[in-house]
Amino acid sequence: MTLSQKMLDEYRLQGRRSFLTNQASGLGLLAAASLLQENQVQGSAQDLSPFAIRAPHFAPKAKSAICIYLEGAPSQIDLFDPKPKLNELNGQKLPESMTKNVRFAFIQKEGARILGCPRQFSKHGGCGMEISDFLPHLATCADDISLVRSMHTEAFNHHPGQLMMNTGTPNFGRPSMGSWINYGLGSPSKNLPGYVVLSAGRGTSGGTSNWSSGFLPTPYTGVLFRNQGEPVLNLNNPQGLDVGIQKASIEGIRNLNSIRNEMVGDPEINSRIASYELAFRMQSAAPELIDLKSETKQTLDAYGLYREEPELKASRGGGKGQFHSFASNCLLARRLVERGVRFVSLFHASWDHHSNLNAELKQNCMMADQPVAALIKDLKQRGLLDSTLVIWLSEFGRTPLGENRGGSTNVTGRDHHPFAFSIWMAGGGIKGGQVIGKTDELGWNIVEDPIHINDLHATLLHLFGMDHLKLSYKFQGRDFRLTDVAGKVVNKLLA
Amino acid sequence: MKIKISVLFLIVFSVATQAQSGEISKIDYVSQIKPILVKNCVSCHGSEKQKGGLRLDFGDPILKGGNSGAIVVPGKSKESKIIHAISGKDSESRMPPEPKDLISADHVALISTWIDQGAVFPKQEMVASGVVKKSDHWSFKPIVNPPVPQNASFKWARNPIDVFVYEQMLREGLEPSQEAEPLTLLRRIYLDLIGVPPTQSEIDMFLNDKLPGSYERAVDRVLDSPRYGEKWARYWLDLARYADSDGYEKDTGRPYAWRYRQWLIDALNADMPFDQFAIEQLAGDLLQNASLDQKTATGFHRNTLTNKEGGVDQEQFRVEAVVDRANTTAKVFLGLTLGCAQCHDHKYDPISQREYYQFFAFFNSDMEVNIPASPLPGEQELFDRQLEQHKSKLAPIKASLDARKKEIQKDLDEWMSKLNKDSLPTKIKTLVGIPSSKMTAVQKNELESYRLSLDDKAKAIQKQLGDLEKNAPVQTMTQTLALGKPRKTNIHIRGDFLRKGVEVEPGTPSVLPLPVAKGELRRFELAQWITGNENPLTRRVIANWVWHKFFGRGIVPTLEDFGTQGEKPSNPKLLDYLATTLSDNNWSLKSLHRLIVSSAVYRQSSTVEPEKLRKDPYNVFLSRQSRLRIDAEGVRDVFLSVSGLIDQRIGGQSVKPPQPPGISELTYANAVKWNESKGLDRYRRGVYIWFQRTSPYPTLMMFDAPDSNLACVRRERSNTPLQALALMNDVVFFECSKALGLSLAGSAQPPLNTIRAAFVDCLSRLPSEREMAQMENLLAEFKRHYQSNPDLALKVFENAPDPKGDAVVRASWVAFARVLLNLDEVIVRD
Repeated sequence: MTLSQKMLDEYRLQGRRSFLTNQASGLGLLAAASLLQENQVQGSAQDLSPFAIRAPHFAPKAKSAICIYLEGAPSQIDLFDPKPKLNELNGQKLPESMTKNVRFAFIQKEGARILGCPRQFSKHGGCGMEISDFLPHLATCADDISLVRSMHTEAFNHHPGQLMMNTGTPNFGRPSMGSWINYGLGSPSKNLPGYVVLSAGRGTSGGTSNWSSGFLPTPYTGVLFRNQGEPVLNLNNPQGLDVGIQKASIEGIRNLNSIRNEMVGDPEINSRIASYELAFRMQSAAPELIDLKSETKQTLDAYGLYREEPELKASRGGGKGQFHSFASNCLLARRLVERGVRFVSLFHASWDHHSNLNAELKQNCMMADQPVAALIKDLKQRGLLDSTLVIWLSEFGRTPLGENRGGSTNVTGRDHHPFAFSIWMAGGGIKGGQVIGKTDELGWNIVEDPIHINDLHATLLHLFGMDHLKLSYKFQGRDFRLTDVAGKVVNKLLA
Repeated sequence: MKIKISVLFLIVFSVATQAQSGEISKIDYVSQIKPILVKNCVSCHGSEKQKGGLRLDFGDPILKGGNSGAIVVPGKSKESKIIHAISGKDSESRMPPEPKDLISADHVALISTWIDQGAVFPKQEMVASGVVKKSDHWSFKPIVNPPVPQNASFKWARNPIDVFVYEQMLREGLEPSQEAEPLTLLRRIYLDLIGVPPTQSEIDMFLNDKLPGSYERAVDRVLDSPRYGEKWARYWLDLARYADSDGYEKDTGRPYAWRYRQWLIDALNADMPFDQFAIEQLAGDLLQNASLDQKTATGFHRNTLTNKEGGVDQEQFRVEAVVDRANTTAKVFLGLTLGCAQCHDHKYDPISQREYYQFFAFFNSDMEVNIPASPLPGEQELFDRQLEQHKSKLAPIKASLDARKKEIQKDLDEWMSKLNKDSLPTKIKTLVGIPSSKMTAVQKNELESYRLSLDDKAKAIQKQLGDLEKNAPVQTMTQTLALGKPRKTNIHIRGDFLRKGVEVEPGTPSVLPLPVAKGELRRFELAQWITGNENPLTRRVIANWVWHKFFGRGIVPTLEDFGTQGEKPSNPKLLDYLATTLSDNNWSLKSLHRLIVSSAVYRQSSTVEPEKLRKDPYNVFLSRQSRLRIDAEGVRDVFLSVSGLIDQRIGGQSVKPPQPPGISELTYANAVKWNESKGLDRYRRGVYIWFQRTSPYPTLMMFDAPDSNLACVRRERSNTPLQALALMNDVVFFECSKALGLSLAGSAQPPLNTIRAAFVDCLSRLPSEREMAQMENLLAEFKRHYQSNPDLALKVFENAPDPKGDAVVRASWVAFARVLLNLDEVIVRD
């Protein structure tokens, strides 16, 4: 403390000017809300915090979404889009007309041969949806899901592909689906963020860019929750600072900030006070969220939290413990939705089966199948499925050709395939028990109802009561949308 | 197919009908063709708009064609794209695009015939259009140095800035605010110019200076501080989309990226004139006898993303990097949203797609080159040390190889006798039978080498050697841009690099004054054009960017868009005054800063009066200063500075301060390792934090640091609960609270004085009576809490036990310091 007391006293004697003590009540919100206002977000101007509830463009079907993202591109041919013809043509070349203008990631065009599929497909549910024997649990939900076999994208490398699927373009710096939806509608959750991300397995190629808010304000970034330990970054107070100290601290911060606000009349200070109070509430709400004590054994078993995890050598899946991790994430997704969280993303990496496809895809399916099916049933049983959209996604699909990287003849996997792949959706205003789109007999091209990622996003926003053409944000001189410059709502998907 | 047949039929038919009436009459362009084109095409392809780079209102441009090349092949209607388009058989290329607007088959036939007859135009139609785009848009007009109004009543004014602002303020019925308190002002210039608050001794020095001009002297001191370069380099790094990694997927590290940052810090500290600053970054490699530093400056455009993902099309990502270089250059220096013209003509600004690719062409032949850099202080020693270690590892292995060589010499003759002559290389064959003692040195050597090549032991040693050599230490490098083999540039139809349109040459948008340089235009000429006095944009854009940093709002609020979709300047005369002042003062940024912070406008209080808030909620007319939340790196800097932990060294490599566990694990297959920095490196300023694109340092991102993928000209200032949690609990921020708390606990002063002094330390002002009372109560409450639970107090110091002193007292001060550092005001520039 070198600052001399004399100096301070002198400074004080210079006579401090009188500060304004009037608060800029109400009016100040104007400045604080400039961002939202300049972008004409619909809804009331009363509460302008980023997660304040804003009215949709029209009546929504979905209130929340759970997006299950299987990073790396699961093989649609082995899971959702049966192609018996491939077994017939196993080992033969594709007609040149099909591959002429195609760029592959790894396949060497000259020696590429069709790879048959050993999976058994059978019909499920009242609708008779054909699903692979790798997904027996999901098959029991056939009447709730709408399977799309005709997705397509432009990107054929992982990171650009993931950006395309999560943000609508293959470029960095755009907001993800969850950011857009929270930006458009706000979030009803009082104690938790509106966009929560859970991750299992190894990291995705896209890393945090998959849940970035891009050019939208930072609060719309997905907040990563962990399913054990500290659920949110910096949630726990340091050692020796217990709830009592924390409570007194939050009060102290509020009192001192309020005094400052009386001096300077800046509405931002009120926001800061509110942020500290929400932080304090999160400190109890987030641990409560991940604490599964209140769940019944029946529920835990249904999700398969404590299933045995078979060991697999050299798996891309992401190491031991992922069965438990992935199942916990599915259950947490339901708990998040119950607590009003708008958008939940579950990531798992990786499904990039360039080789050893049969064994590794089986392992991944064993991991994902049961908890995902349990999630759908659990939501349904609790009456939440009607308002909760569940989506199964990845960045692209896999080729009907075997992968012969480097000219290898030992073909045990498939390469990236952007021209036709499968996803499915359930709940939240989706018409279940139907298959949309058709691919040719080899699964190479789409022959019916092509659906682009931009169309999927348009449909997603539609389910939330938003017109994808109207939900925009001005950035760098242009009005940007989740659907970039395209997108059509897929009416067939709607209930 | 059907349509094609019918069109052909019609052609034949119309020709036939004409033939019946005599000769096939020559079709007249002016009376027969032009009216069809004018009626159907010219609204999109005329003098106003030239979609696809195509103009169809007179002869010359019709023959020249559009972005995809020629549309009319005289004499060959079947090969003419225009016929393909207007016959409407392909929905992709159909013209006009709406089926209901299609030209009648008769007319299509007529145009076909005219083409088959040679597509003849009268002479007056063949004059080159020479269209020079004109625009009345304000920012494209020349900068005129505005006269400073003289008005004796403007007593408030300290310099011309104030006169321009005051004039406007009066018109709006506003009055300036009073000047901020001296210590608030002092903190303001520290935070704005060097990014850390004044220390106690700096406050003392300021208060001790009682002569007139004490503020100006403080400004000079701050501008001379080497911390200035760190603070302003960070602003520029946002524009340079600086990062320490590649971006895509594996997101490989860029260990030499920091050298560009170093150049930046040095250049800013030296107040390098801005025109030179710009030229070196855009084209330092093309300067005569370019120095290493000048080449390093081109690292500006080495911050583009790279995708090393398996199976990518390298050309695609090369093109993306070039696109980014073009767009960034336009955004940063010209305030133009040039990127909007990548797929089609700019929707709002007078920039065509062709012009986009002309601009793109400046960067299209560049290549990325890493060159050896001269080592910085400390680096050479490190390299020497590593080299020494390397050599010492090599030595024993080399020795064992030598030993092995000696060994095999011993029984060379015996070994030779066992050789099967037939399987030997010819050279060796001739040696077999000669006793080694009789061989020449060369012969002996040959034989020994051959034996070594077969010897398992020797092979193993050699492999060891090879592996070691691969990890030999390397001299440090610097990332630069250099001119590669000239590459032709084509327009990319709809922005798709696989769809090549016509070839274009480098060029600047025609709505702006032409480059002065004659002859070939390269990056260097582009840089000269950007910083030339004829260019109406650069100086305005930069002056506006600088202004924004001091007021939180630009005179043009859309810093990145000076085009027609951007907002107009709130005070155009002020903007032009600043722009001319910049270039008139040898482009000195520091002079511009000095001018701004000396103004009465800048020195106003940031207290918000309700009446002013009502009249001018966004403070457009500047009748007050604005309270601004400090930038992400600045938040860290303030915490480190106030707690005394900050590392004082300027410059150097990127560091990896502690971050919560599980962050790097989010990257691709855990590809990124975060090896925590040790010692002083933990306490380096935010500007030095390693930026990993797929898992950026979390507390930076929480406070709105840009993602470094695109140039960012203005950051958001959000206010979130995650920020609150970080400031309270993040490892680094709590370490600061602890350090501050412990120093308070160790104070010999009475607690009240300590509280007051700590408050001044953190906020550079004295607390009010009420604030003092609050803080006293709080400290007392913490003490009570810990007294009733002394074990809890011990826990605060669990990892660093300190037997001295009273844990309850120290823990209370730590909790107190944590509250103090979490006040809104700490991370706000008032």
